[in-house]
Amino acid sequence: MTEIGIPLIETVGLTKKFGELDVLKGISERIYKGEVVSVIGPSGGGKSTFLRCLNLLETPTSGKVLFEGAELSEKSTDLDAYRRKIGMVFQQFNVFPHLKVIDNITLAPVLTGKMSREEANAQALELLEKVGLGDKAEEYPRKLSGGQKQRLAIVRALAMQPDVMLFDEPTSALDPEMVKGVLEVIQKLAESGMTCVIVTHEMGFARKVSGRVLFIDGGVIAESGTPEEIFDHPKNPRTQEFLAQVL
Amino acid sequence: MGKGLFEVLFEYWPIFLKGLWGTLKYAFIAVTLGSILGALVAIVHLSKKKAVSSLAAVYVNVLRGTPLLVQMYISYYFIPMAIPALNSIDKIYYVMLALTLNSSAYVAEIIRSGIGSVDRGQAEAARSLGLSGGQTMTRIILPQAVKNILPALGNEYIAMIKETSLAGTFMLYELMYTRTILANKYLVWQPQLIIAGIYLAVTLLLSAGVKKMEKRLSVSD
Ligand SMILES: Nc1ncnc2c1ncn2[C@@H]1O[C@H](COP(=O)(O)OP(=O)(O)OP(=O)(O)O)[C@@H](O)[C@H]1O
Ligand SMILES: [Mg+2]
Repeated sequence: MTEIGIPLIETVGLTKKFGELDVLKGISERIYKGEVVSVIGPSGGGKSTFLRCLNLLETPTSGKVLFEGAELSEKSTDLDAYRRKIGMVFQQFNVFPHLKVIDNITLAPVLTGKMSREEANAQALELLEKVGLGDKAEEYPRKLSGGQKQRLAIVRALAMQPDVMLFDEPTSALDPEMVKGVLEVIQKLAESGMTCVIVTHEMGFARKVSGRVLFIDGGVIAESGTPEEIFDHPKNPRTQEFLAQVL
Repeated sequence: MGKGLFEVLFEYWPIFLKGLWGTLKYAFIAVTLGSILGALVAIVHLSKKKAVSSLAAVYVNVLRGTPLLVQMYISYYFIPMAIPALNSIDKIYYVMLALTLNSSAYVAEIIRSGIGSVDRGQAEAARSLGLSGGQTMTRIILPQAVKNILPALGNEYIAMIKETSLAGTFMLYELMYTRTILANKYLVWQPQLIIAGIYLAVTLLLSAGVKKMEKRLSVSD
């Protein structure tokens, strides 16, 4: 690894229990600025939980989550301020159904005082144009297809001009014909230099866009490496078994 | 048998009308004040602190778990007896107090379940964008919860219209009290049927209104 300096996001001995269930069993990982990291692994392995711990949507049971060296899980941290720098895209889109497309996008930048309404509007229209939703600004989300909703959700997160984007299976809830459009948007974003952490079942996509792949199984990172290392020469028998099943 | 139904209705309609007005008025006051109080109770109930939230749970359980008539008796007789200074207050207020508190417990649950019906992902998306808990509640959760809360409040008003019939026991001039008035004129069975008919007409009408509101609110899904 050639990265230097402070990682953008770092976890140290991160664990998470749901009641008696040990979901994360100690994950220490560093993600540097500009990296595109894919997270793969079997269902129930803890991928979503790991991702959701990075912006503290889940509170870690023990261990640390650091953003540019600042500990997020510390009580005195202004968590909202850090979350503004961490965009998140959900499997179920979670667009705001009671707000027009444009208001979905401008709500957070305006409400948090990041931009004036005019700036936010201009930026929203520009972003919508980029993802092929230029004509949908005044629609309500119910008029959008699944793929369009997910592109809206991506734009909504980007409107906060985050330092990193987290994706949790962004295409798993989509009809097959919608997947491509959403993946293209994410790929463009990754190529533009945005730091991305992408939980995905799309192995072809993970291989194509990511610089590094994490294989999470049983609450630990069982193997990590470049796409070539993971997909072509997996060392861990668990990785081999998983890839044999999905490829 | 004496007089027929329509004869009685024709002769005494101002009494029934005044009774109906009382019923609608008392129910409206109870649900309106109950909504304000119920909203506060719901906020307390949603608190993350267990001790605070269970306070609201006890309040709701006691008021929903005991008959309204019992609550009215306690309010009407017990409070003035326990606190003699309050003796000069018109007794009507004690009946209204019981109705309001009772309604607030139901409204608290309506609001709580309305908020709970909004998908968890909505709050998560809002928080992940960096909105505060308060901003998330007022800008994302409540606007969506209203769709469930408003029709349920309408239904609570309809339920309260029927509940206020108990207030006649304490001499409040509402629909059920007209029975007492007319019994003094040796009219018994006719007023009872007329009263039932009026309750039915009013609740059916209002139910239809609530249905309509429900439909209009659900359009935006
Ligand atoms: N809020 C929760 N409460 C209780 N258990 C949970 C909760 N969230 C996740 N779990 C459990 O934690 C384990 C890991 O879940 P997680 O969602 O992180 O897995 P995943 O790797 O993302 O799986 P998938 O590929 O199916 O999305 C699962 O057994 C799941 O049932
Ligand atoms: Mg998952």
